[in-house]
Amino acid sequence: MNEKDDILGRRPSGDQPFRIPEAYFESLEDRVMARIAAEEQADVRKKSPVWTVLRPALTLAAMFALVFGMGYGVLSLTHTLDRGTGTTEVSGYATVEEEMINPVSLINYYQTDPEEDTELDEETIINYLATELSYSDLAEIYAQAY
Amino acid sequence: MTDPEILQLYRSGEREKAFRHLVESYKERLYWHIRRMVLDHDDTDDCLQNTFVKAWSSLDRFRGDAQLYTWLYRIATNESITFLTKQQTRGGTLDLAAASRLSTDPWFDGDQLQLSLHKAIAKLPPKQKAVFNLRYFDEMPYEQIARILDTSEGALKASYHHAYEKVKAWVKEEMDAKY
Repeated sequence: MNEKDDILGRRPSGDQPFRIPEAYFESLEDRVMARIAAEEQADVRKKSPVWTVLRPALTLAAMFALVFGMGYGVLSLTHTLDRGTGTTEVSGYATVEEEMINPVSLINYYQTDPEEDTELDEETIINYLATELSYSDLAEIYAQAY
Repeated sequence: MTDPEILQLYRSGEREKAFRHLVESYKERLYWHIRRMVLDHDDTDDCLQNTFVKAWSSLDRFRGDAQLYTWLYRIATNESITFLTKQQTRGGTLDLAAASRLSTDPWFDGDQLQLSLHKAIAKLPPKQKAVFNLRYFDEMPYEQIARILDTSEGALKASYHHAYEKVKAWVKEEMDAKY
């Protein structure tokens, strides 16, 4: 190094300002080897035979459980929705049926002689409607028809 | 023991014995290189031990196309740069804090001029600090520094020149302020 390069105005290499603890270098090899041994032992513990054997099996089991759980969840959800919709429809249909069928009409239907002529004239129908149905029923029928 | 002898001993199966020779041969040079980078003795001890642990774990893959000396310096330099970068990321200005602690550090007994020099060097970015130290203190040829830092010689010369000018200006500034 030439003088031009010397920031301090003197050669720096022979003038070491840093100090080290006494005998620091004497024990360094032993400390390094002890640390290497400790790290290797820790690595061996991490890679123990039991864990090495069990790890693939446990991974497979965990993946199977996950897939099964997801499949079961999806199927349960889909099935519940289908069943729920069906119930609503059936229940709604039954309600409509119950509301529309008049018990008196049913009795009259079963008491009717099958041999008897089922052709009804207009007057009979009007009389039937006037006697058997209330004004609100008639209004509802009218509203549904027109 | 020479580098080829150490490697031959290692490859013959005497791994621990060979490695002890390697540590014995390089511990002081690497210590001082790291110490000038990180300044604090305890931090230097950590980085130096990390350097040797990494060297041990990859020595069987060392192909011999580089010198053992260059290879170890590269590991030590990377350890120091990683340490300094982590400290900067964590604390922002720890480099300067370490430098300012030098005046009260029991393991530093330089005079005011040397204190100013190391405080100025501490202001450099980690990689530029490595270039400056290897060239200024170890007087290492650019060709060898280029192999250690995996950088072109031209880029190193420019980097050293900038670092030198900055350090010189900072030292002058501090000395002028003191006296």
